[in-house]
Amino acid sequence: MNPHKPIDCEQALARIFEYIDHELHAHERAAMQAHLHTCKSCFSRAEFERRLKQKVATLRAGAMPEAQARLEKLIKSL
Amino acid sequence: MPVERKFFESQALALLGPLQGVARRLCRNDAEAEDLVAETLARAWRSRDDLADPVAFRAWMFRILHNTFVSERRRPHVARETTLDVDPDCENEPPFSLFEQMHQPFLLWFGNPEQEFLDKLLRADLERALAALPEAYRVVVVLADLEELSYAEIAAVLEIPVGTVRSRLARARCALQKRLWESAEAYGLKARANPIPKREKRTTP
Repeated sequence: MNPHKPIDCEQALARIFEYIDHELHAHERAAMQAHLHTCKSCFSRAEFERRLKQKVATLRAGAMPEAQARLEKLIKSL
Repeated sequence: MPVERKFFESQALALLGPLQGVARRLCRNDAEAEDLVAETLARAWRSRDDLADPVAFRAWMFRILHNTFVSERRRPHVARETTLDVDPDCENEPPFSLFEQMHQPFLLWFGNPEQEFLDKLLRADLERALAALPEAYRVVVVLADLEELSYAEIAAVLEIPVGTVRSRLARARCALQKRLWESAEAYGLKARANPIPKREKRTTP
């Protein structure tokens, strides 16, 4: 993305996942945000992808309570 | 610089929850997940001097976990029901967007369908959709969305270029959304998305 050139919907949608994952460079992020300020459709899409990502994140499984103590003991015995 | 026991212990203990979380998603069985984490810790300790940059400890540990999972799965006596790996770089996952599916003109009269869908989406729907993903897709979604690793960290874990992480994650999310769209049927959204069939022209006898 050229920081001085506005981006269109096609360019915005191509980078939408990188945007919600905070993987764009500062100038790319600025160009994306400028587009989202003016395009309701792309803004709604970005919001949808962001909220869906948050929902998926709730599946984080985390530690198994019974295994935790055994694994901690293992680490200390290595 | 050799890794000191104290450093290894503190870092490994701090990572124990995320390691178990990823192992559970990979194995889909808690007993196997515990074995996988235990084996990962043992391997990591044995090869601790291979860790070039202590800052990269997290990606290094996840890489050992993933490699251990893959090598264990290849052992012939280990019976698995997991789906076979797809070629992760194949382009056969057609683009699919839930948002676009719900934003077809004949649905727009119906308020805000994507909002309604997200509100109705249950944990069980997400669990099912994630579990149904081919392994190569499931692992990038777990690392990116559940454990919040950066693309560079995922690239280090899976030993693939960052560009491949980007494209694989995009395809994995398309595949996940395609499976979630099947849940939309239960919520009545999908039925409304089907265009009303055209009436046949009646001919007067």
